[in-house]
Amino acid sequence: MDYYLNIVLLAFINMIAVLGVAVFTGFTGLFSLGHAAFVGIGAYTAGALTYHWDVPFIIAILAGMAMAGLSSLIIGIPTLRAKLRSDYFAIAILGFGEALRVCLENLSITNGARGLSLDELSGPVWVTAVLAVSLLLTRNLLKSRFGAMFMSIREDPVAAEMAGINLFRTRLLSLVASAMLCGVSGALLAHRLAFIQPVMFTLTQSTQLLASVIAGGMGSVSGPIIISFVFTVLPEALRWLDMWRLPAYGLLLVVIMIYRPQGLMGYREISGLFRGRSR
Amino acid sequence: MLLQTLVTGLSIGGIYSLMAVGYSLIFSILSFSNFAHGAVIMLGAYMGMVLAAKAHLGLGLVVIGSVVGAGILSVCNERAAYAVLRRRRAPSLYLMISAMGCSMFLENMVYATIGARFYSFPEFFKRQVIQVGGSSLSLLDLFAFVISMGAIAALHIFITRTRTGISIRAGVNDMTMCSLMGVNTDRLISIVFFLAGAFAGVAGVFLGIKYLVYPTMGWVTNKAYIAAVIGGLGSLPGAMIGGIILGVLETLVSTYVSSIMRDVFSFTALVVLLICLPNGLLGTDTEEKV
Amino acid sequence: MSEPLLEVRDLSRMFGGIRAVEGLSFDAERGRVTGLIGPNGAGKTTVFNLITAVYKPTSGSIRLGGTDLAGRRPDEVVRSGVSRTFQNIRLFNRMTCLENVMTPILARASCGPIASLFGTPSARREQSEARERAYAIMRDIGIEESAHRAASTLPYGLQRKLEIARAIACSPSLLLLDEPAAGMNDSETRELGETIVRIRHDFDVTILLIEHHIQLIMNICAHIVVMERGALLASGSPDEIREDPRVVDAYLGRHRDRRSAR
Repeated sequence: MDYYLNIVLLAFINMIAVLGVAVFTGFTGLFSLGHAAFVGIGAYTAGALTYHWDVPFIIAILAGMAMAGLSSLIIGIPTLRAKLRSDYFAIAILGFGEALRVCLENLSITNGARGLSLDELSGPVWVTAVLAVSLLLTRNLLKSRFGAMFMSIREDPVAAEMAGINLFRTRLLSLVASAMLCGVSGALLAHRLAFIQPVMFTLTQSTQLLASVIAGGMGSVSGPIIISFVFTVLPEALRWLDMWRLPAYGLLLVVIMIYRPQGLMGYREISGLFRGRSR
Repeated sequence: MLLQTLVTGLSIGGIYSLMAVGYSLIFSILSFSNFAHGAVIMLGAYMGMVLAAKAHLGLGLVVIGSVVGAGILSVCNERAAYAVLRRRRAPSLYLMISAMGCSMFLENMVYATIGARFYSFPEFFKRQVIQVGGSSLSLLDLFAFVISMGAIAALHIFITRTRTGISIRAGVNDMTMCSLMGVNTDRLISIVFFLAGAFAGVAGVFLGIKYLVYPTMGWVTNKAYIAAVIGGLGSLPGAMIGGIILGVLETLVSTYVSSIMRDVFSFTALVVLLICLPNGLLGTDTEEKV
Repeated sequence: MSEPLLEVRDLSRMFGGIRAVEGLSFDAERGRVTGLIGPNGAGKTTVFNLITAVYKPTSGSIRLGGTDLAGRRPDEVVRSGVSRTFQNIRLFNRMTCLENVMTPILARASCGPIASLFGTPSARREQSEARERAYAIMRDIGIEESAHRAASTLPYGLQRKLEIARAIACSPSLLLLDEPAAGMNDSETRELGETIVRIRHDFDVTILLIEHHIQLIMNICAHIVVMERGALLASGSPDEIREDPRVVDAYLGRHRDRRSAR
C-alpha cells in the first residue's frame, strides 16, 4: 500500500508543476524548455532551509515558491520585454535552466552535484492539501480578468495589445505565477524523495512538463493533469514500462501533432470548473 | 598556449558550424527549429562508431557511411513526423513540438535498446599530434576544422551554383510560389533534410571521436542551436560564423576563466545576444505584418 | 468649429529606403466619420499602424485631443482613447464572442492579481460589470445571439461586427476601422454603413474609416482624405472629392479602368 501511496503522491506533486506550465503555455501561449529549473529552485530553497536551519516546513514551501517566482523575474524581465520569437524564448529559458543547474552543482550550500539528503516531510496530508489549494487558486486566477488577458494573448498578441493589454506585464505575471507553482512542486518533491540532486532538474524534465501540457491539451487544466497522472503512475506501477515512458512521451507528441493537435482536452475541461466565467 | 587554445576553439567551432548548418538549412525552408537534429547527430555518431569498431573501416569510409546513414535518417524523420504537418500548413510551432517529440523518442529509444553505456572510437584517430612553435596541436582538431570548412564551402557552392541549389534558394523565399512554378517541393524538402542529415553525420563522427558516444550526446547540439541563433537562424554564413565565434569564445573562457563557467557563459551570451539583436548577426527580420 | 480630435502633422515613415508615408497632414473632426481612401499600397494601413504605435513614425506628430501620442506603447495609445479593427480580421478565435468583447473592458479594470486569486467581492463586481457592458455593446451592434459561440465559428459578416464590438469595448474616443466592408455584398455593406453611423452616435466616437467601397465612403463620411503613394492627394467633403480632377485621375479613374478591364 505504501508503495502505491508513494506513487500517487509523486503524481500529485508533479501535477502542481504541470499546472504551472499549463498556465504559462496552455493559457498564455508561451513555450518554455526550462520550467524544471523553477522546480529545482523551489526544491533547493526549501531543502536548504530545512537542512541547514530546521525551518518549519510550511515556511520552507512558501520560501521555495517565492524564490522560484523571484528567479523567474531574472529571465522573464529581459526576454519578455524584448518580445522574442516563441522558439527563441523557449531556448533562452532553457539556457537559464542549464546555467542555473551548473550553479547548483558548484555551490556549497546545495552540497554540489552529490546532492542533499533531506527529511521526508511531504506526507499525504501535506501533498493533498497543497495540491487542493493550488488547484483552487489557479482556477480563480484563470477565471479572473487575468485569465481572460492570458488567453487573449495566446490567441493573438497583436489584437490583445490593441485591446489595451500590456503584453510585457501580463506575460510576466503568467510566468511568475507558473514559476511559483513549479517552486511549490519542487519544495514538496524534495521532501517526498528525501534526496535532491541538480541532475533531477534538466531539459528532460522540462520537456516532460511541456509534453504533458501539449498532450493534455492547450487551454485546458484537466487534460494536462490527467496526462501527467497517467504518465507518472503507469510506469511506476508497471515496472517494465518505466524504460519506455520517455520514448512513449516522445511518440505521443508526434502522433498528437499529426492526428489531434488540440491534445486530449484541447480548450475544454471535463467539468465547468475552470471555465464558465461567461456562461 | 594561446595558439593551442585557438586551434581547439576553431575545431570545436567547426563542429558547431557543421551542426548549426543543419538547423539553419531546415529553418530557412520550413521556418521552424528542428529540435530533432540533435538526435540525428547522436545516431550519426553511433553509426560511425559501429563502422569504425566493428567493420574496422578507415576514417574516410566511416565519415561517408555515417553521412549517408544520418542523411537517410533525417529524410525519414521528415517524412514520418513533419510531412503531414507541412502539407496541411500547420503552424510552425506544431512542427517544433513534433521535432521535440522525435528527439525525445529517438534519444530514449537508444537508452532503452542500446543502453546508456559510453562508447569510444578506436584509439588510432586521436593520437597524432604535431608540434608548431612549442604548442602541440592535435591533428584531429586541425582535420576537423578543415573538413568542416570544406563541407560548408561545398554546400555553399551547391546552393549557389547548381540547379537544385537554386530551387532550394527559391523555396526559401516562397514555398507556395515554388510549387506553383512546377518545382516538386516534397523532393526539394527531402534534399534539404538529406543535406542537414549529412552534415549531422560528419559532426557526429567528429564529436564521437573527440568525446564519447552516448545517448544524450545530442545535448551538445543545444550549443549548435545557439550558434545558429547567434549567426541568425536561416542564414548559412551566419551558422558558420556563429559556430566559430561560439567555439572560440567558449574555449577561451574554459581555458582562462574556468571550465565550469563555459556553459553558463554560452547560455548567458545567447540570452544577451537575443535581447540586443533578436535576429542574430546575419538573420533577416521576422517581424509579423499587421 | 471645435478643435479636431485627431491632428496628424507632417507624418512620415520609412521602411528601409522606401517611404510608406511621407509628409502627411490631416485632421479628424470630433464626432464625425472621416474617410481615408487611396489606391492599394497608398499607405493607409500604415497610417493606422502609426496612430496606434505599432510602428514608430520616422518624423512628424500625432495628437489626440491636443495631447501628443509620441513615445507611447500600443496599449497606452489604446488607453488614451484610440482603438481599431484590422484589415485581415484578428479575433481571439477560441474565445466566445462575449469573452472577446469583455477582454478590453477587463484589461482596464483595476483589481490586482492577489484580489483576483482570492476572488474578492470587488473582483467579482468588476467581472459582472464587464459582462453587463459587453452585453450592452453586443446588443447595440446586433450580435448578442452569438454571445456564447466561439469567435472562429461565426460567419464572416458577424466576425467583422464582433471586431467592431471589441474595439468599442475599449471605450475609444477615436475608432479606426480598416476596410470593414471588405468581402461584403451590397446589402451587407449598406447595413454595415448604418451600423457605423449608429455606433458613432450611440457611443459618441469619432471614426476614421479606410474603405475601398466608394459608395459607402460617400454615404457616411462627412470628410474624406485621399492618399496616394504615402502622401496627401486631396481632402474635403464628399462632393469636393467627387469633383476633384486629381482624385478622379489618380484613384476613381483608375478604379473605373480596372473595372472595365475585367
